Amino acid sequence: MRSLVSFVLLLLVAVVSAISTTGNRLLVVLDDVAEKEGYSKFLGDLESRGLTLSIETPKSESLSLFHLGERAYDHVILFPTKAKGLGPSLTANILLQFLGANGNILLTLSSGSATPSALVSLLAELDIQLPADRTGLVVDHFNYDSASAPDTHDVLLLPPPGPLRSDIKDIFSAGAPADQLIAFPHGVGAALGAGELLSPILRAPRTAYSYNPKEQSEAVVDDLFAAGEQLSLVSTFQARNSARFTLVGAAELFQDKWFDAEVKKTGGKAVKTFNQEFAKRVSGWTFQEIGVLRVNWIEHHLNEVGASNESNPKIYRIKNDVTYTISLSEWSWTAWNAFSVPKNDALQLEFSMLSPFHRLPLRLNAKQSTAEQAAYTSSFKLPDQHGIFNFKVNYKRPFLTNIEEKNTVSVRHMAHDEWPRSFVISGAWPWIAGIGATVTGWLAFCALWMYSAPVGGKKESKKTQ
Amino acid sequence: MAKSRNVTPSPAAAATAAAAPPQQPSTPAPAPAPVKQVAKSAPSSKQNWDQVVVNLVNHYQNKTPQRTKLIDAFMAFLVVVGALQFVYCVLAGNYPFNAFLSGFSATVGQFVLTASLRIQTTEANKSDFPSVSPERAFADYVVCSLILHFFCVNFIN
Repeated sequence: MRSLVSFVLLLLVAVVSAISTTGNRLLVVLDDVAEKEGYSKFLGDLESRGLTLSIETPKSESLSLFHLGERAYDHVILFPTKAKGLGPSLTANILLQFLGANGNILLTLSSGSATPSALVSLLAELDIQLPADRTGLVVDHFNYDSASAPDTHDVLLLPPPGPLRSDIKDIFSAGAPADQLIAFPHGVGAALGAGELLSPILRAPRTAYSYNPKEQSEAVVDDLFAAGEQLSLVSTFQARNSARFTLVGAAELFQDKWFDAEVKKTGGKAVKTFNQEFAKRVSGWTFQEIGVLRVNWIEHHLNEVGASNESNPKIYRIKNDVTYTISLSEWSWTAWNAFSVPKNDALQLEFSMLSPFHRLPLRLNAKQSTAEQAAYTSSFKLPDQHGIFNFKVNYKRPFLTNIEEKNTVSVRHMAHDEWPRSFVISGAWPWIAGIGATVTGWLAFCALWMYSAPVGGKKESKKTQ
Repeated sequence: MAKSRNVTPSPAAAATAAAAPPQQPSTPAPAPAPVKQVAKSAPSSKQNWDQVVVNLVNHYQNKTPQRTKLIDAFMAFLVVVGALQFVYCVLAGNYPFNAFLSGFSATVGQFVLTASLRIQTTEANKSDFPSVSPERAFADYVVCSLILHFFCVNFIN
């Protein structure tokens, strides 16, 4: 009975933690709790994925991201608010602390309301720039929805974005139907800094630009904040601790009406939006439900005939043959899968003391891999240098958890009796023969010396007598 | 060496007193002949040099004790062995270096020890080593050689 209860409990824990690798407490910050009706499909989707939602307004006094110094929530969604400030519980500093404590943040903006200054300074900390007076609108006179915005051109229609680079897996639009479009209504575009932690998911089309609808008349737009692909519509920031932050320029992208809407480019036919699936993937990535890597185990051992096969020894000798294996899993939605390195990418092992002495490709080892984990192996000869070395795997890619694994080993020099004997080295044979000739010559000389009677000996003795 | 070479004539002269009977029959026979030749062909300096060499060789063959000849033969052998090792090192490289050092220095060291034995056992140097008999010199030589071989064989590993 007791074991049954514990089994059920374990199962429950497993089911509860099945959604996200970091936790399931989600805080939704809305200007007004009633607004959640507009996002019911999106929030329902999140709930069906196992997240427990707490809906709060910035004005709520009980709202606090931390409780007794620990995170009170695992994830936060911030929807746009009308208020200028977000209040004392959602300052830029607290949100950054939340990121630092491995919390994930999904931040949405809208051109309809000015961005609160707390969020502007948070974005500035992350090197994301917003238009100057905290309000901007992205328009495109070529890729707009002619059904809902025939005059304002502020509902952008974009094809699913595809992979960021050729060596990165396409996790946001893989398998998207070719004819579906992402509707990006009334959104704010951001300009990203050059930091390597930032990567855009969705860039504006080349013909889009951002302007201030309140101050700049639509006819003459001379001072643009940014235009074309400079504008990032959906951007991500993955901190060094792998906490994730996503900025979505248009909160309406998540609204029910855009999940079901049919959109139509000028001259095109009406198509369904890709918004629902896109929102699922963006939120899923942000809340660590996809693109999460885990190191299961690391093993290294001597790879020499007749040597002990002990795992992870503390010490090696220079020029030893060594095999290193690392096991990686990738979490995708509900299960750990074997992680496969993208086609044009490489997983590398560094053997380094201050700087790498070797940087070697790690190859998939099918023998040790299973469906849940993939083992990557590299076998190599240690460098001819003794000292304290690290086996280091440093794999940091956009949209994937950062992996930085260091295993320290000592590499000793050769012991005096580990050098090859001279007679093993054929190059030394002439010199061995040289010693041999000298010694045998010397023996022969001594023998001859002792047997050759001194010719004058008798005479000398005679003389002395 | 050079010194002992220069000195050789005088001990030879001194030695004649001791070793006169066996050498005398051979010495006069070649000696007069070259003198005549030199007188005949005075202008040819080449012949003159041949004469010097022949003289030298004859003198060496006749006046050098048997054991010194033996030492010289052994030293010549060591020079050949050492030269071969060095040439091999120049041509084929010095890896493994300890083997080269060991092999070459065994030969060179043996040469040096043998040279010392020659100096100590030469009659002409007797005044320099009044307390060292040839037997004592040979015993020293054997001990030192054994130590040298011990070191070299260990060092070549």
